[in-house]
Amino acid sequence: MLVSLPLLLPGYRVFTLNYMAVFVIVGLGMNVLVGATGQVSLGHAGFLAIGAYTMVILMARLAVPFPFALVMAGFVSALFGFLLGLPALRLAGPYLAIATLGFGLAVTQIIAHSALFGGHMGLVVPDATVGPFPLSGDVSKYYVIVGITFVLALGVRNLSVTRVGRAFRAIRDSEIAAATMGVDVAYYKTLSFAVSAALTGVAGGLLALMIGFISPGVFTFTLSLMFLAMVVLGGLGSIPGAVLGSIVMGYLNLEMDAFQELPVLGPALEGFSERFMSTVGLPNFGWVVTGMLIVFTILIEPRGLYGLWIRALDTTKRSKSADAELSRSGSGAD
Amino acid sequence: MSFFAVDGLTMRFGGLTALDDVSFEVDRGMIFSIIGPNGSGKSTAFNCISGIYQPTAGEVYFEGEAISGLAPHHIARLGIARTFQNIELFSTETTIDNLMLGRHQHMRSGIWSGVWMLGRATSAAREEAENRERVQWIIELLDLVQVRDRPVGELPYGTQKRVELARALAMEPKLLLVDEPSAGMNADERAEVAVRIGELRAELDVTILLIEHHVQLAIGLADRVLALNFGKPIAQGAPDEIRQHPEVIKAYLGDG
Amino acid sequence: MALALVITYKTTEVPNFAQGDMAMVSAFIAYMFLTDFETGFIFAFGAALVFAFLLGVGFEGLLLRRMRKPTHLNLIIMTLGFTLAIFGFAGWKWGADQRQFPFPVSANEVIRFGSVSISTLSVATILIAGILMLLVFAFFRFTKLGVAMQATQQDPIAARINGVPARAIVGLTFGISSVIGTVAALLTAPLITLDPTLMWDALLKGFAAAVLGGLNTPVGAVLGGYLLGVIENLFGAYVSVEFKSVVAFLLIVIVLWFRPSGLFGHHHERKV
Repeated sequence: MLVSLPLLLPGYRVFTLNYMAVFVIVGLGMNVLVGATGQVSLGHAGFLAIGAYTMVILMARLAVPFPFALVMAGFVSALFGFLLGLPALRLAGPYLAIATLGFGLAVTQIIAHSALFGGHMGLVVPDATVGPFPLSGDVSKYYVIVGITFVLALGVRNLSVTRVGRAFRAIRDSEIAAATMGVDVAYYKTLSFAVSAALTGVAGGLLALMIGFISPGVFTFTLSLMFLAMVVLGGLGSIPGAVLGSIVMGYLNLEMDAFQELPVLGPALEGFSERFMSTVGLPNFGWVVTGMLIVFTILIEPRGLYGLWIRALDTTKRSKSADAELSRSGSGAD
Repeated sequence: MSFFAVDGLTMRFGGLTALDDVSFEVDRGMIFSIIGPNGSGKSTAFNCISGIYQPTAGEVYFEGEAISGLAPHHIARLGIARTFQNIELFSTETTIDNLMLGRHQHMRSGIWSGVWMLGRATSAAREEAENRERVQWIIELLDLVQVRDRPVGELPYGTQKRVELARALAMEPKLLLVDEPSAGMNADERAEVAVRIGELRAELDVTILLIEHHVQLAIGLADRVLALNFGKPIAQGAPDEIRQHPEVIKAYLGDG
Repeated sequence: MALALVITYKTTEVPNFAQGDMAMVSAFIAYMFLTDFETGFIFAFGAALVFAFLLGVGFEGLLLRRMRKPTHLNLIIMTLGFTLAIFGFAGWKWGADQRQFPFPVSANEVIRFGSVSISTLSVATILIAGILMLLVFAFFRFTKLGVAMQATQQDPIAARINGVPARAIVGLTFGISSVIGTVAALLTAPLITLDPTLMWDALLKGFAAAVLGGLNTPVGAVLGGYLLGVIENLFGAYVSVEFKSVVAFLLIVIVLWFRPSGLFGHHHERKV
């Protein structure tokens, strides 16, 4: 089904799908770090930027072919992830969050201020080809992007049911116990940073491919917050949750400028805006929604959308077995 | 050269001396019990042995090698496993996954092999299947078959303690440190625990170091006993001697 | 800013990432009073401070208290969500335009100390920060309430048994730190233009300073703030202007590497 999708939808919708896919990859990355090992990152936009810029510079300045440049984007990002993971070992909770926050900002600052990376003006992404096929137009990019997303998702899932994934989750639940079971906590924590960064870096490269142009202004702190929001919303620690949360957030992020166009809600929001708020500020409503989603998720169902899904399953299971009980006792009573 | 020995172990936290010159030896296959009222330093001793704390002074020897100061995961790899008084289970994981964590050091799949687990033929998949089988007997031994696939956070307290024990056993350790296995239990449950630990020693080739607040339980089970009070050793010897030792009685009753 | 953050963290172990934007909204309120309603400075600032207090208490009472699983991670995320929501709200209501913030003390007039000239605003800021620090220090040390707050952080159950109304105190804490944060915002607004991103830089620097000085000492926080400011500007003057903020980040990492609780802070170990 996914294969035929781009052929059925109008052009800009395909772009939307691509955008969501990129977010999904980041979501997977965030899940590995925050969901699995429990380390907070407020700076993932930094890894996105590192990946994007690495790929673009390799392609533009050194004429490296796209597939290889993308892989390099992942590697370079992983390296930075590892480097960030090292001091992260010493930091816990809020300290770690702040350090990652600083990291994200530092990356964008360095990029913005150095001519090597195009400064504030940004860089144009050269055309990409995969072997003999030129990637032009959203549809061809779709196949590449979504294809890669699938492969990565599969890889992450496999990882989570084997030794490494278990070690990650053990660290989240009880570092001390994990250590006494033979888990080298330091190694696995930095590993999770590296993996998370690698995934996000690849996403960065793909994002660059999609948009065709990158500049420091894309990789903001609020974007990092959004990344965190996705995995929280979907449910920390669950892969389907992360995917779902990413899709929702990706869509939200993209459509933020177009709230007026929503069927019923749109005009209502506009009217409300005119009377109490400023109309020009309406896109910010997206942030309000995102923020409130996070707040309510934590408040009501800390396991996010995935948690809601589990709850729904449980209730159907219970009502089914209740039915079974009833019918059994009914016939027995005869 | 003894299997396991502690020599002059001392642990100070700032102004507080939690352990004061504690020494004892354990032979292979023994059940050695450490008793003492609350706060006497028993868990601190375990923490020093398993590498969570680095002792202020003294040394811990396992199979002839000095191990104090090593990181906990190193010590685990040498063959020492432990349970925790306050239960440190991986609460969101299922019982079987907790046990599989115990297999961590015996398995080898890393990032690359983990990612490529497709179908049953790959090495990671085979490793998973093999180890799942291996822990099966532990699950049966400790009566955890019913709760095998349930997240341990939901399980009742007594069951959780069994899972902790099972997880430690999954490591196939040479030395097992059991920290207050009967905490929070009534007399019947305690009797069960005693039987179970006895069984473990009989069926597996494991040496057991037992911390127990409950004197009766410890004395009934152990081959040798060490009594601590305020971090200092006050008596060491055969269980019967310890039971009648005046210092021990004073420590327990005197503390109220 | 650092002071506000430390007060919250010290008492409740919650790093309030929303502090920046909460202060920002309060500053906007002041602005509203000043321009739309055309009230005097004192009234407008007073209104802003009252609003800030209520916002802080409200945030704690309505949201933080109701959390089901208040793990550290979840608390952090909660404050992040709140900050995102408020940020959006501010952007929505007031738009992203930058505005001039009128202020009684000018940023442009200067006082001269020998060969050094400092703007009157900076003087005011330094004075106020210093006074606040002393006030807070005295508060924690000498007043019953202050001691109660410290007790609450170290052991909430014991505190409650001793008659300390822990929940009220926690709410109060948020209120107070919100007010302090707003003072920071009001002092910052005239320096740069007033818009929703007003406090971003300050929040990061505030955290950096708080972390530098130790997240659980108010004195450390303020000293950390001064230290950070000095180092940053020295770096800017002698090495390069552009990377000033990167310094903040690197500094935190370096300090935390060697002293995980900051320069003056202390840590408690978990008992296993």
